[in-house]
Amino acid sequence: MIAQRWQVMSDVIKNSARSSLNQQDSEPVLRTDDVTKRFGGLTAVDAVNIEVREGEIVGLIGPNGAGKSTLFNCITGTLSADDGRIYLQNQDVTSWPEYKIARAGIGRMFQETRIFDAMSVRKNLLLAAQKGDADIGQLLRRPNESLIARSDELLEYVDLGGLAETRAGQLSFGQQKLTEFIMELMAEPDLLLMDEPAGGINPSMLENLIEYIRAANEDEEATIFLIEHNMDFVMEVADRIYVLAHGERIAEGTPDEIQNNQRVLDAYLGRE
Amino acid sequence: MAITQFVVNGLLVGALFTAVAVGFALIWGVVDIINLAHGEMVMLGGYSSYWILNFLTGDAEGSVTLFLVTIPLVIGIVFVIGYALQRILVARVIGTDIFLTLLVTFGISIAIQQLAIQAWSANPRAIQILFTDPSLSVAGIVIPKMKLISFIGAIGLTVALYVFLQRTRTGRAIRAVSQNPEAAALVGIDVEHTRAVTFGISSAIASGAGAFIATILNIQPQMGLIYTLKSFVIVVFGGVGSIPGVFIGGLMLGTVEELTAGLVSSQWTLAVSFSLLIVLLIVKPTGLFGEETA
Amino acid sequence: MSASESDESGLFRSLISPGLIDQLFSFCDDHAWTLLVIGTVIGALPPILGLNQGYYMTVISEMFLFAILALSWDIIGGQTGYPSFGNMAFFGIGAYTTAILTKDFSIILPIAMMAAAGVAVGSAVLIGAAVLRLRGHYFAIATLGVLLATQQVSRILDITGGASGKILLQTPSGTVFYYFFFTVLVAEAALVYYLSNTRFGFVLNAIRDDEKKATAMGFNTTYYKTAAWVLSAFFTGLAGGGYSLFNTFINPQTAYNAAWNVELIAMALIGGSGTVTGPIIGAFGLHVVIEYVETAFVGWQLVLLGLVVIGTVIGFPDGITGTLKEYASEMKYYERGGMAATDSNDSAEVASDE
Repeated sequence: MIAQRWQVMSDVIKNSARSSLNQQDSEPVLRTDDVTKRFGGLTAVDAVNIEVREGEIVGLIGPNGAGKSTLFNCITGTLSADDGRIYLQNQDVTSWPEYKIARAGIGRMFQETRIFDAMSVRKNLLLAAQKGDADIGQLLRRPNESLIARSDELLEYVDLGGLAETRAGQLSFGQQKLTEFIMELMAEPDLLLMDEPAGGINPSMLENLIEYIRAANEDEEATIFLIEHNMDFVMEVADRIYVLAHGERIAEGTPDEIQNNQRVLDAYLGRE
Repeated sequence: MAITQFVVNGLLVGALFTAVAVGFALIWGVVDIINLAHGEMVMLGGYSSYWILNFLTGDAEGSVTLFLVTIPLVIGIVFVIGYALQRILVARVIGTDIFLTLLVTFGISIAIQQLAIQAWSANPRAIQILFTDPSLSVAGIVIPKMKLISFIGAIGLTVALYVFLQRTRTGRAIRAVSQNPEAAALVGIDVEHTRAVTFGISSAIASGAGAFIATILNIQPQMGLIYTLKSFVIVVFGGVGSIPGVFIGGLMLGTVEELTAGLVSSQWTLAVSFSLLIVLLIVKPTGLFGEETA
Repeated sequence: MSASESDESGLFRSLISPGLIDQLFSFCDDHAWTLLVIGTVIGALPPILGLNQGYYMTVISEMFLFAILALSWDIIGGQTGYPSFGNMAFFGIGAYTTAILTKDFSIILPIAMMAAAGVAVGSAVLIGAAVLRLRGHYFAIATLGVLLATQQVSRILDITGGASGKILLQTPSGTVFYYFFFTVLVAEAALVYYLSNTRFGFVLNAIRDDEKKATAMGFNTTYYKTAAWVLSAFFTGLAGGGYSLFNTFINPQTAYNAAWNVELIAMALIGGSGTVTGPIIGAFGLHVVIEYVETAFVGWQLVLLGLVVIGTVIGFPDGITGTLKEYASEMKYYERGGMAATDSNDSAEVASDE
């Protein structure tokens, strides 16, 4: 009722000017509220507020040690936040265990590209699709046709068709990264967290990767939140960017706005 | 009074556990493996001393001085065995699955055990040390002389190891390899050799303890596994990187065991040790004093 | 693990090409259930065709027994990646349960068997709650500790006959045991094969390969690990239940045998851990060899075991099935485009294996 009316309004508003200040624009897929994480005397994440709305590609940048990965870890439940709240689709997931948050619709790609080396690519994909429903019936049944078909579809999508039966560990690094990417898509997450997706990829592959991410965002309607150090990459792929430094959020805006933000420049040059 | 006696007994035997555990911890920290054949080095030490004494006197008994003479020989022999085992067998599985290294050392343990049974039969043996008066009595507490000598010997071995690690070049090389093998290689340390030396030294110390054990308890080919497990308990308690922690752990384990044996029954000592192990692993796997291991 | 390719295998390669092995595996995969039925029939025949009770029947029954144990170990060790050095604890628990129930309480065998499996499962749940939260070598040593602790307990208690154990006089004939172990083996093999192709099996493998990733993907790994552990304990306990009567004698040494535990692991490894046929092949093969050595060179069989373990781990960690699979899939990778499927520059970024 009220939610539906907001939804209609927000769709209209979304298509015109961005209003990043109006937090009731559309229901954010992810929202953090003053999230704080300390390690002993060090505050790695300091009262950070971020918001990712449906259909967006949001970037998270900042100098080394700014707390980006730690923030990710708090969101996914790998670490537990000391203060603050985390909301996924308006549900408070702050104290949920990691697997429960993953089941609730967050997918995560790792910096060091983690896939299951000893299994075939196909098995990796099928595994990703069946996201931990504890239904006994599902547990003991063999994977069904439509899932196998979808896994083929996604392989074609990133030009990896034909490698379905290969052992995942035999793939090149770039291929493994793409495999991890489509594994996440198999799971149809509400929100996909990507930790330095451009890491270790050669320049010509980067163009492809940007395409794949954009396509996933449009065709698969994946909402994406990514950490990245490669400035060109993130400026080109993201709709909006947050900047962290020393655990604090120091800026937020479109790529253009960020590139011209003095405070951001200072942070990177060490003057913050 | 009885309790004090038990505690004293515990401390005396605990020092031996410490000497064994220290070597175990060293291998764990430097070579990064859990050596399931470590207890067999204790066994080999006991038997080496036994047979050397037998060779010298025709019978496995002798004076204290004669026995102490065998110690350096025993240590030398087992050092070589340990070095060879590491260099030839264990080195090949370093860096692979942890499970495989566990299995290799367990295979070595079984092979050595069984060879010992074939060679020396499964019957327990002991070394008899001749004293005019085998025990001292201090403030109502009975202290068998041999146990006291073993205590001093074990402490001596442990301290010697500590000094060796801190003061000598090889010791520094060992510590370097334990912190960062690649960096150590870059500054010219022969990592393979250093690892083998570590294995050798650890085995040697364990064997020294084993020789003492042969005089105060007895030895039989399958005694090793228990010592390996006790070492594990002690190291988990004390922390892999910390000799002081292991030291305290060894004394504590000895005390707990003697108290159990005295107050309950000696049948329950092993059960108590293993229960401690499980509890420790659940509560504090990185030890009370040590650093994080992988 | 990198694909093995060396000049020495050139001769082998020309005699038996990877393609051939690949076809063999595909054939087995496609007709697995038929093969299982055929195997069942073959295995059930010998007593019918005249194999009498006695030495050979005992040896074959023991082969089945070890195959059960090796396969059970593999469920938790090979498929899930939690190498248990203490699986034999459940064996002993099962063995003592049937021994005590049939001898002291005159309970009939089938019920005693079910009790054995039940007690094994119950203790697995309790023990698992404690040890399954540990990783790697901590887990392995903890399970070893459990094994030795249960051994010690059976030495102390009266009901278990203390150190001298129990002697069982009224036991069924050898043929009964032959079929008992055989049936349990077939049932277990069928179950493991089925599960390895379901999501349950996939998740176990995922836990083995990268438990953190599996958790991050949404799987409650504790639940899956416990299920695998309990399944392993069930069959091990059942086999143990049969063993005490089969052997007519049980004592702490034989019931809780650490050397046997290592033997099982070796069998699973040699045959090829993580597969269904691997542990079975390994068990059959290694048991026969050890039996032979035991008769020909009394007392040396365990020395041999130690050496076999060392040799397997150093030279042959993938086992027979594993090495063959690796060999077979080599060609597949290159045939299907392999590195050429992406920019050639990617080869410069191949991540090193952990």
